[in-house]
Amino acid sequence: MTATATPPEQEAQIDPRSPKLRLAQFFDGGNFELITPDDDRGVLVGVGKVAGAPCVAFATDPTVQGGAMGNDGCRAIVTAYDRAFADSVPVVGIWHSGGARLREGVLSLDAVGRVFAAMTRASGKVPQISVVLGPAAGGAAYGPALTDLVILGPKGRIFVTGPEVVKSVTGEAVDMDILGGPEPHGRRSGVVHITTDTDEAAYAEARTLVCLLGQQGSLQLDSIADTDLGQFMPDSSRRAYDVHPLIDGFVDEGTFTELHAKWAPNIVVGLGRLGGRTVGIIANNPLRLGGCLDSASAEKASRFVRMCDAFAVPLIVLVDVPGYLPGLGQEWEGVVRRGAKLLHAFAECVVPRVTVVTRKAYGGAYVAMNSASLGATKVFAWPDAEVAVMGAVAAIRILHRKRLAEVPPESREQVELELAAEHEVISGGIKRAVEMGVVDEVVEPIATKRAVAQILWDTPGVRGQHGNIPL
Amino acid sequence: MAHTLSAEMVASVHSIEVSAGQRVDPGAVIVVLESMKMEIPVLAETGGTVLDIFVAAGDVVREGDALASIG
Repeated sequence: MTATATPPEQEAQIDPRSPKLRLAQFFDGGNFELITPDDDRGVLVGVGKVAGAPCVAFATDPTVQGGAMGNDGCRAIVTAYDRAFADSVPVVGIWHSGGARLREGVLSLDAVGRVFAAMTRASGKVPQISVVLGPAAGGAAYGPALTDLVILGPKGRIFVTGPEVVKSVTGEAVDMDILGGPEPHGRRSGVVHITTDTDEAAYAEARTLVCLLGQQGSLQLDSIADTDLGQFMPDSSRRAYDVHPLIDGFVDEGTFTELHAKWAPNIVVGLGRLGGRTVGIIANNPLRLGGCLDSASAEKASRFVRMCDAFAVPLIVLVDVPGYLPGLGQEWEGVVRRGAKLLHAFAECVVPRVTVVTRKAYGGAYVAMNSASLGATKVFAWPDAEVAVMGAVAAIRILHRKRLAEVPPESREQVELELAAEHEVISGGIKRAVEMGVVDEVVEPIATKRAVAQILWDTPGVRGQHGNIPL
Repeated sequence: MAHTLSAEMVASVHSIEVSAGQRVDPGAVIVVLESMKMEIPVLAETGGTVLDIFVAAGDVVREGDALASIG
């Protein structure tokens, strides 16, 4: 399309919410082929390309009954899924819809349910990505929620019941923004994986994710340069730090796309490339909550592990974890149940998955972070790393409680340090961990990328045979 | 607009790294907390002037307690 072909007055007539326009903005060069009728059914389905590779996309039509989903529109979405399934290509939904069509009554509810069923049948088989650009309410909220990845544009709002219903039932005066805008879904609910400041950025993120999952590339070992990953760590082993520079230094430059960045930020998950091949990265982030695992972060990581497993994306797990976050709130939130999801996800996972313990791995959190016991393909540790039930000082406080109680308070710290040093000698540090087989190999920070890549190269690519339930 | 930094978890205040009235850039370390045997820096989300500091070294803070405000 050229700018000169359309007079300004005609250009102004194109509704920016038009599904045709939106599909054009998503696909390569604005080119796509419609595979459903272009009428008032409220959904358009197109087949086109993303970075040269085929992809199916549909867009709800907010210019007809507010984008409400009726029987025919829902059938169009199922058609999109059938096509994506038949071609084994990703399917992208562009959402802007008030939910089921009131005028069609329960028939529209039945149709919406069929969409959910189609999404679930496709789950774990073809990548499903949602781009929410306007309100997506009721049935239109659960559509995106069933997909693998959800991107929210600046005007995207996702909620089950709108402000008016909330007001009449609970008396709460809320607007759509606080109910289901970028802040609540980006930070609190975990519904949305990526929020963007513009619609254009939302399409760009969707295209990036389609490429990362749909065109995973093959690993080029030669292209991986040695990088001293130790430079991203603080001098003091007690000091917390932001793990993002370490991740950016690990993957090919500029390829990391973080998911759920603001929700449960004490663990970082995202897709990037290593030697040109798509990999999934999971890393504790000591800057937030000291990098402790908690109920939300365990759940976030487990969903990510299962998605990568379903789509044959190898995992790299960067471990620096002091333990599970203690507290009444955590226990009542179900840190046991939700933490168990991460154990289950890793233990079930069949893609190559390599662990690197950079600094420390303590206790139950050590087990959960893709330990050898859960079937890690390989566990590396840096030379100064510590793998233990707990830190040495905490351990000797329990082991030598009586003896420490007899020590006068002014010399207690000194005695604790001596006992801790002694304990470290007995428990053996990282060498002992290698002897026991809980760490396979000690690797220098500078040699880590190649060592990990070599394992990915040597390990056959397989994928888990399961859906990706939105945990 | 002023924003308040608060503690994410139960911790003791290890050190205060700025003083009231000081100008700070986004990402500057304002307070260092100690929890789970770790020193955890709390960073400014936006740049501005440190308006107030609500804690002192050695204080114990609970989740959600205000540490400092920046505006």
